[in-house]
Amino acid sequence: MRWLRSWLPHLLVGALALLAMGKMGLLDTGRWSHGTRNVATFSASMFPPNWEVLPAVSGAMVETIQIAFVGTLLGFIMALPLALPSTRTLFPPAVTLPLKLLLGIVRTVPSLLWAIIFVVAFGLGPRAGALGIAFYTLGFLGKLYYEAFEGVDLEVTEAVRSVGANRLQLLRYALLPEAANTIISQLLFVFEYNVRASAIMGFVGAGGIGFYILGYVQLLQYQSLTTALLVTLVVVLVIDFLSSRLRSVVLPAPRPSALG
Amino acid sequence: MLAPVHTAFASFEVAVNNAEPLTPVASAVAVRDLWASYAKKRPVLKGISLDVPAGQLCMVLGPSGSGKTTLLKSIKGLIKPQAGSVTVLGIALRTGLKGSAGKDLARKVAYIPQTLGLVRNLTVLQNALVGTLARVGTLPSLVQVFPRPLVEEAVATLESLGLGHKLGEKAYNLSGGERQRVAIARALMQNPRLILADEFVSQLDTPRAIEIMDVVKGIASQGVTFLITTHELNLVASYGDSAIVLRDGRKVHEGPASQVNLDVLRGLMQ
Repeated sequence: MRWLRSWLPHLLVGALALLAMGKMGLLDTGRWSHGTRNVATFSASMFPPNWEVLPAVSGAMVETIQIAFVGTLLGFIMALPLALPSTRTLFPPAVTLPLKLLLGIVRTVPSLLWAIIFVVAFGLGPRAGALGIAFYTLGFLGKLYYEAFEGVDLEVTEAVRSVGANRLQLLRYALLPEAANTIISQLLFVFEYNVRASAIMGFVGAGGIGFYILGYVQLLQYQSLTTALLVTLVVVLVIDFLSSRLRSVVLPAPRPSALG
Repeated sequence: MLAPVHTAFASFEVAVNNAEPLTPVASAVAVRDLWASYAKKRPVLKGISLDVPAGQLCMVLGPSGSGKTTLLKSIKGLIKPQAGSVTVLGIALRTGLKGSAGKDLARKVAYIPQTLGLVRNLTVLQNALVGTLARVGTLPSLVQVFPRPLVEEAVATLESLGLGHKLGEKAYNLSGGERQRVAIARALMQNPRLILADEFVSQLDTPRAIEIMDVVKGIASQGVTFLITTHELNLVASYGDSAIVLRDGRKVHEGPASQVNLDVLRGLMQ
């Protein structure tokens, strides 16, 4: 019976997974072979890439990066001041709980849905995309930042508070510097994420390269699609590389001997 | 006001920059029947009473969990007592911790937590200047504009502690002994009358601990009262004026440090 008790959770998870996969048709071998053939045909029709669309696609990619950059910046500017009063080590629950709820609601809505809301409100174009990214970033960074502030070593906040520092001074001299690494590191991470998210903003008319990607798929212009995807891939890789370099410059690792 | 402090390893002149004269207070700390706890039903301190005369270096000893840290935090006003009273520098904590009087008391009582509470991403000088926050306006301090005399005072204090060459170094890059000295500098920048230090030298090797305790002794000789919790029994007689032993939240011994018998002390601590 002992083996049954230890294996029961694994068996249950396995059974649930099989049930869900069956419902989705993932266990249908006929569909698998049909689908595989389709993927092969589709892939073959994607090559060679159509380089004629490169200028148009590159221009749209620049717009995508702008959407990600402006959206991330706006989101960060909103997130930091909202994260501070959401910090339970600084403010009472009457202040922090409603703000945490608000950030939770903002975070629940995906960036694409935010973009649809802003397309409806402000019309088509990158403005809606940037605002969509900004609101998603607000919900995401807001939570990470108040958690970073709350995670600051209690003895540090106690030591700074005990010199007679007020709440703003505590924030300036304990919470912000102690959480600085997390603040910068998460900002870079969310920017990388937002570049990818901005690439599909065009699906809902919110600007950027997504408009071209969706258009090429709908018009069956798979060779042009390849060009758009390759440009996206290169830009995402370059931005990941640059942000990791930036991270190592801005966030130097402390000497191992000084960690204790 | 400079007093030379000679140690076996280095010689420091530690400045205690008390602008105001040290008016004698008979008892720097007076605790009466203090009960304190974190969870309601499990008191950590069970009716402690003690007096620390001004200018004394009082060592608080006891095994882990005996209530040493809780005692220090209660004296600093970080923990509200369940019962009893704490009077610090002549001010009863229950009534004395509000408004400017509270801020003034917070400045006069420096607290160095066990892990020192240094801000890792701030420099040595910035960490020392944290000690002056109660004396600086909020707005200038937020944009890091400190009055020049305060900055000069901080630099002089750090230099006197042998850290003059590390002013711009981030705290996370310092060695254990250096971090200990930055914590002392931050405390001194409060112009304190009382310094509460929790397990102050426990994480240092013996030569470093002796070096730091020599610095502490020099500061105490200028009229600043110290309350230091420690496990290091061998430091008690050489540096303490008085010693208090706690066990299970109760005071089991109090007396002059010079008369402490190490074997008796060891027995009390077990």
